[in-house]
Amino acid sequence: MKHRCKLPFVLLVVAGLAAALISDSASAADDLARVAAEVDRLLGEEALRGKPLAPPVDDAAYLRRISLDIVGEPPGPAEITSFVLDPAPDKRRRMVDQLLTNPQYGQNWARYWRDVIMARRSDERALVRAGNSATVYLTEQFNKGAGWDQIARSLVTATGDVRHEGSTALLFAQEGKPEETAAEAARVLLGFELQCAQCHNHPYDDWKREQFHEFAAFFPRVVVRPLPNDIVQNFEITSLEKSGGGGKNKAKAEHYMPDLKNPQAQGTLMQPVFFLSGQALPPGMTDKQRRQTLARWITARENPWFAKAYVNRVWAELLGRGFYETVDDLGAKRKCAAPRTVEYLSQRFVENGYDLRWLLRTISSTAAYQRASKSRGESDATPFTAVVIQPLRSDVLFSALTSALGANELESAAAANPKNKNAAYGRNGPRFVFEQVFGFDPSVPREEVSASISQALLLMNGPQLSHGLKGDNPQGMLGKLLLSESHDDLVATELYLRTLSREPSEKELAVVIEHVHSTSKRSAAFEDVLWALINSAEFRQRR
Amino acid sequence: MTTQVVHHTRASISRNRVVARRDFLKGISVAALAAGGLSWTDLLSLQAGELRRRGMACITLWMGGGPSQFETFSPLERHENGGGTKSIATAVPGIRFADSLPEMAKLAKECAVIRSMTSKEGNHVRAAYLLHTGYLPTPTVKYPALGAVAAHQLADKACELPSYVRIGRSGLSDSAGGFLGVEFDPFVLGKADRPPENTAPATTNDRFQSRQQLLARMEADYASSGGAEQVADHRKLYDQASRMIMSRQMRAFDLAQEPEKMRTAYGEGAFASGCLMARRLVEEGVTFVEVTLGGWDTHGDNFNQTRKLAEQVDRPMAQLIADLKQRGMLERTLVVWMGEFGRTPKVNARSGRDHYPQAFNVVLAGGGVRGGQVIGRVTPDGAKVADRPVTVPDLFRSFCHSLKINPDAEQMTPIGRPIKIVDGGKVVNELFG
Repeated sequence: MKHRCKLPFVLLVVAGLAAALISDSASAADDLARVAAEVDRLLGEEALRGKPLAPPVDDAAYLRRISLDIVGEPPGPAEITSFVLDPAPDKRRRMVDQLLTNPQYGQNWARYWRDVIMARRSDERALVRAGNSATVYLTEQFNKGAGWDQIARSLVTATGDVRHEGSTALLFAQEGKPEETAAEAARVLLGFELQCAQCHNHPYDDWKREQFHEFAAFFPRVVVRPLPNDIVQNFEITSLEKSGGGGKNKAKAEHYMPDLKNPQAQGTLMQPVFFLSGQALPPGMTDKQRRQTLARWITARENPWFAKAYVNRVWAELLGRGFYETVDDLGAKRKCAAPRTVEYLSQRFVENGYDLRWLLRTISSTAAYQRASKSRGESDATPFTAVVIQPLRSDVLFSALTSALGANELESAAAANPKNKNAAYGRNGPRFVFEQVFGFDPSVPREEVSASISQALLLMNGPQLSHGLKGDNPQGMLGKLLLSESHDDLVATELYLRTLSREPSEKELAVVIEHVHSTSKRSAAFEDVLWALINSAEFRQRR
Repeated sequence: MTTQVVHHTRASISRNRVVARRDFLKGISVAALAAGGLSWTDLLSLQAGELRRRGMACITLWMGGGPSQFETFSPLERHENGGGTKSIATAVPGIRFADSLPEMAKLAKECAVIRSMTSKEGNHVRAAYLLHTGYLPTPTVKYPALGAVAAHQLADKACELPSYVRIGRSGLSDSAGGFLGVEFDPFVLGKADRPPENTAPATTNDRFQSRQQLLARMEADYASSGGAEQVADHRKLYDQASRMIMSRQMRAFDLAQEPEKMRTAYGEGAFASGCLMARRLVEEGVTFVEVTLGGWDTHGDNFNQTRKLAEQVDRPMAQLIADLKQRGMLERTLVVWMGEFGRTPKVNARSGRDHYPQAFNVVLAGGGVRGGQVIGRVTPDGAKVADRPVTVPDLFRSFCHSLKINPDAEQMTPIGRPIKIVDGGKVVNELFG
């Protein structure tokens, strides 16, 4: 071979590299541990104040929790067993690293942000037309390690075909309307609820109506233009300048604050000013100039709220409760359970390149994250003394179902069906149908997310689920399991692992075995058990 | 006759924490009620406004997106803002509707048209919330929709169907139960022309029941080790769902049981099926049904769009009112036609009309409402309320009056904050005079 080197040299290089990698990762781990410890210390001072803490979470519950949080899917039975048996002291940290290299990590968080953006869409068409491209785009960004600052800038400055440019989601969801877009940019990227200032000065904040409309003045030249029709109607986001500028668009070139007493009048011409920094643009700027400047100002290091809003959201997803309880209503006047903690964590987040992987690693390393869980009612008094039990988001619950039933192929088969109109957007199949019933706005405080009768009915009686439960189908998960395993208690254990990611307690096992013995047909008995497991409260929650 | 009326008060049920639940039973003789021995105020004082008013129901026809008043119940034929929409005479001299509502015109004697509704909220989501709850959204309190309040106050416990049903989706939040909790969220059907999804048990009924029992036994251990709250809430939901699908009353969802003649009378289309199903549901004891028809956000091509929409509404709505009347149900069933706001008087450059909360329409029929009248007046250009403004709290107070709900009754939020069913406002007395 041409490139063969002398063996000792290769070894030397490899050894050197390995040493560098080890010391690098060791120091990164040290750094992570230090930040996590400081977060716990600050939290102790600010929030916990010596209150009794929930005990550390056990390994099985931790594995389910961290898997659901990072990749949006529970662990499989084999993973659980090997994790619980692994004696290594740093196994939790290594598990986090491993999960973060799984492409489902990016997909899970992309779906979260897609829901954040789409839940408040002004235009119904956005969900189907841009929902998938947004997921694809964000998945790619998170998986390649793009910083949130970079992603946020693209959401503000996006242009192009909404079906292919996923970064257009935020603009398209608001039909590019200046006021709606402004309100959403402030809410999603900064955690500020400015909407009320659209019509009047904010009732319990300092935001004035003028400030809202100055902010909206960054967006009047955004144009949503229908594209020539192929199979289905489609749109692109472009700039007024590019779309010809004149004609009926002329009035749109600037943003006017409506005169409330005289809504027919043109109103007051507004110049673009960023309400948080007071930075202003001179008159007459192009769409590109306006949006690019705003994107820079929003994501500037000097603006603490950009990082705080993000850190608060991710913390709230992981701990079940944010530092600020409402994730899109932050601000200097809002109640914050631990202001110095969120400040500290946000600063480190900025220093680490707005990297979601870094943030997930750090938060999951805290003692706060690794506590056992309690229901919201029990843990309300002192936040962060326990992790709060959360309902699973629609996508996560769907993944939990398909992985429990071993029915992953279900989804791809349906998605390939060309008869479905939504197939053109990649928004079809059982996952999308499921979302219509189980979806909720992830920005709404989780205690306000309620389970509906329709959800119960789908889980109890859904024809596809019933099919997936079949115990006498040798191709199905349960059928295979029953053929290969003759011990009923082992079958029961396997089903518990697949659904709840833990072994049954003795009492639970006794209930199951009793049911199996009292039912004439073994396969039918275990169908009932599996049915009960996926219909249990515990299955739908993240503990 | 000593039939007991069961009064059921749930003082403070919250979503994820069942703080304290006080169920108390109070029996009074139906005979006494029937004989008129007790006046309304007597009843109020008997049970602090928490009495159930047997049989009152409400059907809301929700025009999602904000229907144009000018192309429906308030044509402006003689002003350029009318946009050329023609009007027709109705059965009531002096009252004219848009010409796309010929069937409703015949029934004008049953309807009260409020032409002077006014609000300040021009954002779809916030305005839809306002017209559903009577309150503007706040980050702190999640107000229940009128349907949830009605279900809470009036629901017939003997009815095994959900007391609040919504037919058709139009981007409205399904968690309309607000702080009253999960059980007051609407049961949502995408379409009325087939039975609600997943309501047929996947197994035999016996096995379905046995699975429920197995589930309860399997969950006992988790409940006793920290999951009590979750399991209890979950149990409640599952009990409700199973009771419903096992019920004979499920037949109300099956339009095939209606004679062909009746189906024809309601007309064609999803909205027509929704109206017919609404009547079947109310007949079966459901308290509140909302039938939605979206698409009214006519920023462009307003005149063609609203004509199509009005045609979808005209016959079904007219037949619904006529059918209720013919069955003797109209007196105790309030029918409401409304959306989140109206449309701008001025036609925009795209032949559209934009959002306009300043002056819009709501139409009421039944439930004790005196028909054949118009309430309020707008300026000739349609832009301003000229006489008798009706605010959203006024409207909600009037709903309560019709449904015999005490609007000043306080309901508890999860943190124990008492919230009135309606805050402020005055009953629009002309509606009931």
